[in-house]
Amino acid sequence: MGSEARKRSRERIREIREKEKRAAKRNKTLLVLGAAALVVVAIVGIGYLVLNADRGDGYEGALAPQVLQEDGSVVMAQEGAQAPVVEVYADYQCPACRQFELLNGDVLKENAAEGRAIVQYRPVSIFAQRPEPISGNSLRAGVAARAAADHDRFVEFNDLLFQNQPTEGREGFTPDELKEWFAQTDPSEQQQEQFDRRVDEESAVVEEFTGDYLPALSQDAAEQIGQDTLNTMVLADLMTWGADNGHDPSFLEGTYTGQIIEATGNAYTRYSGENAFRGTPSVYVNGELLDNDTAMTARGLNEAIASAEPGEVDSAPLGDGGGAE
Amino acid sequence: MDTTGDTLTPASAHGSRWESVQPWLTLACRVGLAAVLITAAVTKFPPALSVQAVEAYDLFPVEIARLIGYTLPLFELALAVLLLAGLATRYSGAVGALLMVIFIAGIVSAMVRGLNIDCGCFGGGGQVEPGETTYGVSIARDVAFAAMGAFIAVWPRSPLAIDRVIGLFR
Repeated sequence: MGSEARKRSRERIREIREKEKRAAKRNKTLLVLGAAALVVVAIVGIGYLVLNADRGDGYEGALAPQVLQEDGSVVMAQEGAQAPVVEVYADYQCPACRQFELLNGDVLKENAAEGRAIVQYRPVSIFAQRPEPISGNSLRAGVAARAAADHDRFVEFNDLLFQNQPTEGREGFTPDELKEWFAQTDPSEQQQEQFDRRVDEESAVVEEFTGDYLPALSQDAAEQIGQDTLNTMVLADLMTWGADNGHDPSFLEGTYTGQIIEATGNAYTRYSGENAFRGTPSVYVNGELLDNDTAMTARGLNEAIASAEPGEVDSAPLGDGGGAE
Repeated sequence: MDTTGDTLTPASAHGSRWESVQPWLTLACRVGLAAVLITAAVTKFPPALSVQAVEAYDLFPVEIARLIGYTLPLFELALAVLLLAGLATRYSGAVGALLMVIFIAGIVSAMVRGLNIDCGCFGGGGQVEPGETTYGVSIARDVAFAAMGAFIAVWPRSPLAIDRVIGLFR
């Protein structure tokens, strides 16, 4: 064997070794990749099952009676129920409120139907001061829900509003849509007529509010008391200031638009300290604000209701059972 | 491809110093990025709010947004586990960097479309008042996290890693 041949053979052996080394490395890489994929699939898969198990079973049964209150809120409870009061503050344009409704709407219905909770829906419009179309959407939906409450169809209509919530920043909750959704709650012809009329009247009020009244008021307030102060004011305070400074809010008197704005202002003053109302959705059990982990999981809400003492509703039912003054 | 360790010839003093420092830098990146991912996953709980944060981007149909809202935090958690364990280190780092690039793309798209949302990176999310967006900060943060992931992907060799036990990235 010549030296040339020996060199070639050494070369070949080295090549084979290199190849084996590369193959071994490839196998190891495949091994760790496979193991890593398993870890990911296991964590995501098991976690997803666990998180999904928190969804309620859904509730298709009959609703507990709904009683409209003087302040425009609606109490859903069995008559004479001795149970904790669950107050739900929601803005129909608020996406987190929609998530709450999708997740826990049925939990509330079921607890109320079985006499375990007195549920008080308190629609508010925290977005009334936002730019259009957010403000108009929020207000129109709120007044339509109030109009539906006149016909004992609040809870059903409330569901429809959240199911059809427009993406924030897009025009939605139009009068025509609102009327159409009300028709889905199976009203009498007369009820539909009254609802339609109310929605048209209120839409005009909302338009005046968002189109003329509020922009003028905001501009004046920004000039006279400064934008910084203005940013810290809730709408109710701003309107009180406006009333003394040439911005007459009387067009809101007796309207559902005025009522929901007032209800929103009252929410900010109803609670104090840790329980202060800061935004939507806010869920209170016997006046105590639930944290997100409790309110936004089915198990959390069910447990909070089950562990609370019976409470008292602090509003009074509307005397004639419907119709605004 | 995974030859970073053996091909670096410690010709200069600089080279050898890098070789002794780099594994610890990679370990720091692994732990740091894992901590970021765990924080991001935990603060996204409960999933109902995470879904809402995804929906605010207005990029996906309802069902897809829901799926992302539920699984994204879990994926972040899984990735954190891989980084801490040092399993498939190079690829975990690369995926982490890629995830951050996707997040940045999402934030940029929200910014370009004039949305006023919170990125929902660490919980929260959804609409904020116009003028209260923090896109710049969010993007800068994600760029830093992406850099950590890229560092891990380029120099995966580090102590306290399962990969090392198996014989990878020694």
